[in-house]
Amino acid sequence: MKKQKILTLIIGVIVGALTVFLLGSCSEEEFNPGLTRNFTIQASNGAAYAIKVALPEDYHSSFEKYSTVYVLDGQENFDFVANHCKEIANRNSVQHVLVVSIGYGNDRSIDYTPTKVGSNTGGGAQFLDFIEKELIPRVEQDFRVDTTRSSRVILGHSYGGLFGACVFAVNNNLFGNYILLSPSIWFDNEVSLLLEKQKRDINKDNPQLVFLGIGEAENSGRMQAPFEAFYQTLRDHYTDIKLSKNQEKNLDHVGSKNPNIIKGLNYYFKNR
Amino acid sequence: MDMKHKIYLALAIIVCAVNYGYSQNNLAPDAKHSLLRKLTIEPGVGIHTNFGTDFLISNLVQWNPTKRLALASHSSFNINNVAQRNFNYVNTDYNYSLNQKFGIGTTLYAKKISHTVLAMVGMKYTTFQETLDNPNFNKVSTTISAVSPDYGMMYSLKRGWKKYFFTTRFYLPLSPWLTEGAKIENIQGTLRDTALEFGIGIKIL
Repeated sequence: MKKQKILTLIIGVIVGALTVFLLGSCSEEEFNPGLTRNFTIQASNGAAYAIKVALPEDYHSSFEKYSTVYVLDGQENFDFVANHCKEIANRNSVQHVLVVSIGYGNDRSIDYTPTKVGSNTGGGAQFLDFIEKELIPRVEQDFRVDTTRSSRVILGHSYGGLFGACVFAVNNNLFGNYILLSPSIWFDNEVSLLLEKQKRDINKDNPQLVFLGIGEAENSGRMQAPFEAFYQTLRDHYTDIKLSKNQEKNLDHVGSKNPNIIKGLNYYFKNR
Repeated sequence: MDMKHKIYLALAIIVCAVNYGYSQNNLAPDAKHSLLRKLTIEPGVGIHTNFGTDFLISNLVQWNPTKRLALASHSSFNINNVAQRNFNYVNTDYNYSLNQKFGIGTTLYAKKISHTVLAMVGMKYTTFQETLDNPNFNKVSTTISAVSPDYGMMYSLKRGWKKYFFTTRFYLPLSPWLTEGAKIENIQGTLRDTALEFGIGIKIL
């Protein structure tokens, strides 16, 4: 009995310690609420998208027009991206940006995928319509932002990265900068590579900035080779592209996301 | 409290708990012959707990120079993602890991079983190659080879006191969670390498 109690105590202490660390380490620092604007857009695809906009610190004291970073999976990534944009701009003494978070209106697997494979996919075209015809006009009407293609960035991870790659191919005039992290290029037999190939002649001479990030430990048998194929395609066929690729050491699909966001933003701020 | 202090505190709590168990625990009367089990070899097979997609072949060599003190060497060969080798024109040509860890810990004894808790430190070598062989595009292969630290806590349960006994092991890595940053997204990486193994132990000494 005594030994059982001791063993229970040991296991309890270990589990307890790990739980405390887990619970104590999950919070992401919130972006300054005083500089955050919230609104909802009822899109023509039927979904309501919660939008958050992070204003630069000097927004009210300057007359500058700012670049915009549109963040997919905004509910998860907004605070992290907004805080790091602020930190990088301050550190490098360069112009700040507006960060626009796009919350979930539909299931992300519907909005972020270009073709229908099963019931929960294939709404990418409608979601892109929403961004192009409803969100961007609203942001550019309500906020003091630069309205040129080269001042717009799209940032996405996983299916969000896939969506960004498809936007690159099918509507390259919308964004001039792409931060694509662990993009699901494998989706539907690499349909995003097919879209890129179909539109290549139209897009290949446009100025682009593309940062591609992935985790070195993403060994699920679908991520690395399509990612490399996309990278090589951009490298070999696009004449006016600023292109960077990063593999985060020892990190997997989820773990590599935030380190790659930081590297992607740094690349954008230094090379825009 | 920063990350390093959190890790130190966690390890301190674990060590204190193990020491407490060591100081309080007495040998079970029926298990006195366990003193003779000084050196064991414990081959086994297992899975990672990432939905069981990795298959492990492993071996634990455990030496107890004293009744309570346990020293161990754990080796494993992992065939990763064994069930999915062709997906959407992406072929996995190979995908495996080699792990080698050494550990120190303590053993507690009960009537028919013994428990060993070990702090393990070692290295992991992983290599895999994927090829995109889609007829619509050029064939592209990519190879990743990486060496990474591998450390964590191992629990080993041995059942039986004869020359051959049943053994099961559970390994909880502390990387990338805690080492890469105690963030929720790193938990997945930690869970990916959490291992459950079963095998037959052989008493050598």
